[in-house]
Amino acid sequence: MNPRTLLWLVPCLIVWAVLPFVVPRNIADLLVFTGIYTVAGLGIGLLLGHCGIVNLAQATFYGLGAYASAYCTVMMGLPSIVGFLAGAAISMALAYVIGRPILRLTGYFLALGTLALSAIASALFFEWDWLTGGTLGIGGIPKLDLFGFLLDRPSRYYFFVWIVAFACMAVAHNLIDSRTGLMLRAMRDSSTAAAALSIDLQALRTKVFVVCALFGSLAGSLFAHHASFVSTQSFTVDRSISFLLIPVIGGATSIPGIVVGALFVTFLPELLSKLGDIHQILFGLALVAVVVLMPEGLVGAFAKLRTRFARKGGSHG
Amino acid sequence: MAEPLLALREVGHSFGGLSVLRSVTFDVPEGGIIGLIGPNGSGKTTLFNIVTGYIRPLAGTITYRGAPLVRETIQQRGLQGLVRTFQTPQVFEQMTVLENVMVGCTKLTRTTMLQDLLRTPAARGQMREIRARAEAACERFGLTALRELPAASLTAGQRRILEIARAVIGEPRLLLLDEPSSGLNVQEIDGLREWIVRLNEEGITILLVSHDMGLMTVARTVHTLYFGEIIASGDMAAIQRDPRVREVYLGV
Repeated sequence: MNPRTLLWLVPCLIVWAVLPFVVPRNIADLLVFTGIYTVAGLGIGLLLGHCGIVNLAQATFYGLGAYASAYCTVMMGLPSIVGFLAGAAISMALAYVIGRPILRLTGYFLALGTLALSAIASALFFEWDWLTGGTLGIGGIPKLDLFGFLLDRPSRYYFFVWIVAFACMAVAHNLIDSRTGLMLRAMRDSSTAAAALSIDLQALRTKVFVVCALFGSLAGSLFAHHASFVSTQSFTVDRSISFLLIPVIGGATSIPGIVVGALFVTFLPELLSKLGDIHQILFGLALVAVVVLMPEGLVGAFAKLRTRFARKGGSHG
Repeated sequence: MAEPLLALREVGHSFGGLSVLRSVTFDVPEGGIIGLIGPNGSGKTTLFNIVTGYIRPLAGTITYRGAPLVRETIQQRGLQGLVRTFQTPQVFEQMTVLENVMVGCTKLTRTTMLQDLLRTPAARGQMREIRARAEAACERFGLTALRELPAASLTAGQRRILEIARAVIGEPRLLLLDEPSSGLNVQEIDGLREWIVRLNEEGITILLVSHDMGLMTVARTVHTLYFGEIIASGDMAAIQRDPRVREVYLGV
């Protein structure tokens, strides 16, 4: 690691470590959500930024993870790790089975296909109340217990969630940097040429879709243990859309961008809600502003600004 | 006579009611440079698309290394050593020159998704190998100075060379070059010509489609395609003397 990276990484880590102890509880709560959304957003970022795929179904996998954790712990009395694993397994299997056919589609058609998946899943979560509890949901999900250390406060859960998020970021970074990542970017830039170089586009897209579902499910399980109550309202198409916004706002090709996007979708509505009924309009306007003015996301816009300043500095020297 | 590397027999294709290829038959012998000329719309690119698996022919057979090519996908044909370039160079614009070449090398290695996600020693080793090979290829094709630049910033000539480097690193047996000289200046075409000869000497069989009569003289045998049929075959000198070719193609 070069010294310049260290220069900003160390202060960031210090702020990260102190933050939950100095902010009020509701802010600590939002920071937990930021971590959870980062995990979910990473999957969508991989698809959007590296495969050019718009995935509007992340709430489905988020829901599967959450319900798996809720059902396993509350209804079956199993340890929470079982919920995490069951959610991951079901989500990945579903992503594979559904991904094979719908990932043949491209562009808008594929986006609509994933939107349909989210709509269907959201309806099923509501209809299958014997499993999900319907609108009443499943309550009393236990707090996570880490070798006898109960993660019962936002400030404690915060660390757990963010360590998971950092691990997921490392995994996503590995993927981008790997042989698979190379093939993904090639496919995004020119699928015709990628095929000519023997890259199996269909298989590759399916694999990334499965990884995206894994992240979604993991985020869902984390959410269930944080909220201790899950119901259909949390897994609607609206939620899929706000997950998609994370990479769109932050910058789809950048991993720190996902964190920025997650901060945006968790904090901004909360801050704006203090302004009364107008807050939804303001949030919408903020979104439009980011998408129109910064097509590469906040992180992309920041990087552009920095190169511009660096160039100016260079011309003086 | 030895079995040809690629053999086309009565290959035909049409789009809707429009017949593009009527009945095309010719061989590409192992180790040869075969040229294919013909006016615009004569079916050259369609033929390329058929051989490389982008289009399935409606009639005829294609045999590669003694076995028929029917249902094999583009990717499978690539793994068997059939590699093409495109009329408009298809570089990966947002990737660097080095990364572009690295992509060409991915098919020679294997990693699983899990290995890549966890960056296992095996995955890291493969990446190192890919990078080393790509760096060597950049060196060889004179791309070293450009290798950290995004491919979008390259000139037409540089894109051509990059596309060829990217194809060659994947160890093709038969390299199909679609109009490789279009958009190049005279010097660049001379360079391209040298590359074609050198790659052929290294054992790569070449099927070359071009409008460029000067470049075409590298081919040992040239087939002239006109409205989906081969109307003349022979070396370039013979082709240029052929009265039918002069009439339909050279317009004299």
